[in-house]
Amino acid sequence: MPETMIRIENVTKVYGSGEAAAAALAGISLDVERGAWVAIMGPSGHGKSTLLQIMGGLDRPTSGQVHLDGAELTRLGPTELAHTRARSIGFVFQSFNLLAHLTALENIELALWFGGKGHGDAHARAMSLLESMGLKEKAHMLPGTLSGGQQQRVAVARALANDPDILLMDEPTGNLDSAFEADLLNLLKRLHEQGRTLVMVTHNPAVAGHAQRLVRVKDGRIEEDRGNGA
Amino acid sequence: MNLFKLVWRNLLRRKGRFVFTLGGVAIGMAAFVSLLTIGQGLDREIKKQAQGLGANLVVTPKGWCAYEQISVLTGEQLPEAIPMSELDKIRAVPGVKVAVPYLNEKTAFRNRPVPLIGILPAEMRALQKWELAAGRYFDHPAEPAVVVGAAIAKQFQLKPGDRFTVRGQPLPVIGVLREAGNKDDVASFAPLPVVQKLYEVEGKVSFAAVQVDDLQQVDAVSLRIQEKANVAVVTDKQLLSSILSIVGTVSGAMQAVAAVGVLAAAFGIVNTLLTAVYERRREIGIMQAVGGTRRTLFGAFLLESGLYGLIGGVLGLMIGMLGAYVLGPYLTDNAFTASLRQSPVPSLDASTILLTFGLSIGLALVAGLYPAYRAAKLTPVEAMRYA
Repeated sequence: MPETMIRIENVTKVYGSGEAAAAALAGISLDVERGAWVAIMGPSGHGKSTLLQIMGGLDRPTSGQVHLDGAELTRLGPTELAHTRARSIGFVFQSFNLLAHLTALENIELALWFGGKGHGDAHARAMSLLESMGLKEKAHMLPGTLSGGQQQRVAVARALANDPDILLMDEPTGNLDSAFEADLLNLLKRLHEQGRTLVMVTHNPAVAGHAQRLVRVKDGRIEEDRGNGA
Repeated sequence: MNLFKLVWRNLLRRKGRFVFTLGGVAIGMAAFVSLLTIGQGLDREIKKQAQGLGANLVVTPKGWCAYEQISVLTGEQLPEAIPMSELDKIRAVPGVKVAVPYLNEKTAFRNRPVPLIGILPAEMRALQKWELAAGRYFDHPAEPAVVVGAAIAKQFQLKPGDRFTVRGQPLPVIGVLREAGNKDDVASFAPLPVVQKLYEVEGKVSFAAVQVDDLQQVDAVSLRIQEKANVAVVTDKQLLSSILSIVGTVSGAMQAVAAVGVLAAAFGIVNTLLTAVYERRREIGIMQAVGGTRRTLFGAFLLESGLYGLIGGVLGLMIGMLGAYVLGPYLTDNAFTASLRQSPVPSLDASTILLTFGLSIGLALVAGLYPAYRAAKLTPVEAMRYA
């Protein structure tokens, strides 16, 4: 019996209140097994990103529970939640979200610092991550001077900084051209083979095709949840 | 990566804003520091002058206010109000060792004001233990000549044999006093009868300095003098404390005004940091997503604010000390101590440094609390919504 990494139970998310209230998630339950690679698809504005944010503890559900590796996220205070994000979860965003005034290396060091690594260790680890991404020469450059593909690889390196079990990605290939997209997918395949749990939100069926499992979200509910071809 | 490195990077991102905000703190602190040190210098100077008086009691005309008492120390021109006959009565009071009269007048020499003080040559020299740097002292108690203080001699390049004109009367300079480090350096002296005649105030003096036989009896002697003669008497300690309290009030008020400037600068910090929180909302969200805690974010903004205080304090201290050197003479010239012409020298002591940094860093940290709170209470999703 495979172990459950992420368990979402009856989660709702309502924005606003009264007549203006709009439900982004209308009661979703979902289990993600350890080592799974799940793609979440669906039309824009139907709750995909909200689901990902609640999964990663960036946002709190209006009702329902979220368990992450056995811990109930919904019961954690802001500080514990931050520690969980630092150590157990890596986020990758469509717009990379690197800090523009810090170098590639420093962006990764920042995450390592938040994860509790000392200065010397952090430097060595950040360098080796950049090297594994083929970006050693770009270590001291600011994100603005790097190409989109390079920035996204720095962002992935940052997400991997504290060796998290789970990688949560929101349109990771959305801003990349096809060559970089293939690059990133190869990288994700490698991470999957290493046993990490990957959850990615995407519009792109070709990208989603690399995942083992496909979850379709519509109107804040799960419309379809199936294994993926191979 | 550590908090300091992160904050330092943030601080220098908007260089213009950094400089202007810092400028506000630095200027406020500079005003505070210079007024503080000028006040301290004044304090020291007054104490030194009071010692230079060499008296246990000062006899003044009745009804003198503290302002007039200050002029005893400054050598300012005084109303000639004590008749010589009263002086004789004072001398006769038991317990009085010496009573030395001063007649403070002012003359213009080469269009500059110079205090001219009428004295009894022998008594005065015994009291002040004057030594001469050049020339000689008065030969007899009514010799029509002047002896000048060291600073006056230097200022006007006077040496024995030169002429010193008082009210159209040329008087020979016969001697130059050795530098004493008090107001005697910036005055000229002539025998009492000579000055009385020149200023047509025969028989009167401005005030008198009294030494007593037994210091334990100062208060008793003071009472006895007031019984026998129609004068007011203050002890040197009373004189000093009343002067210091006036000067203290004035410099305290000036420091308070300067502190208001620092307070205004603190609001500048609040403004700058609130703007920074607003601009960096997205980054704050990213840092939270990557695992930064509220405490880290709060600490980062508080440290940024504290650095404004620290750097502003350092700059303020430097500019303020410089200002005290440059402006000190002008400021004190207009204050009560008009003719403490030796400008008090500002000096930097530990308490000044402590007070300066306490004020600048303390206020800056308080200023940082609200922006830091605003940053820390953002939730990741709401912070990252802003692209």
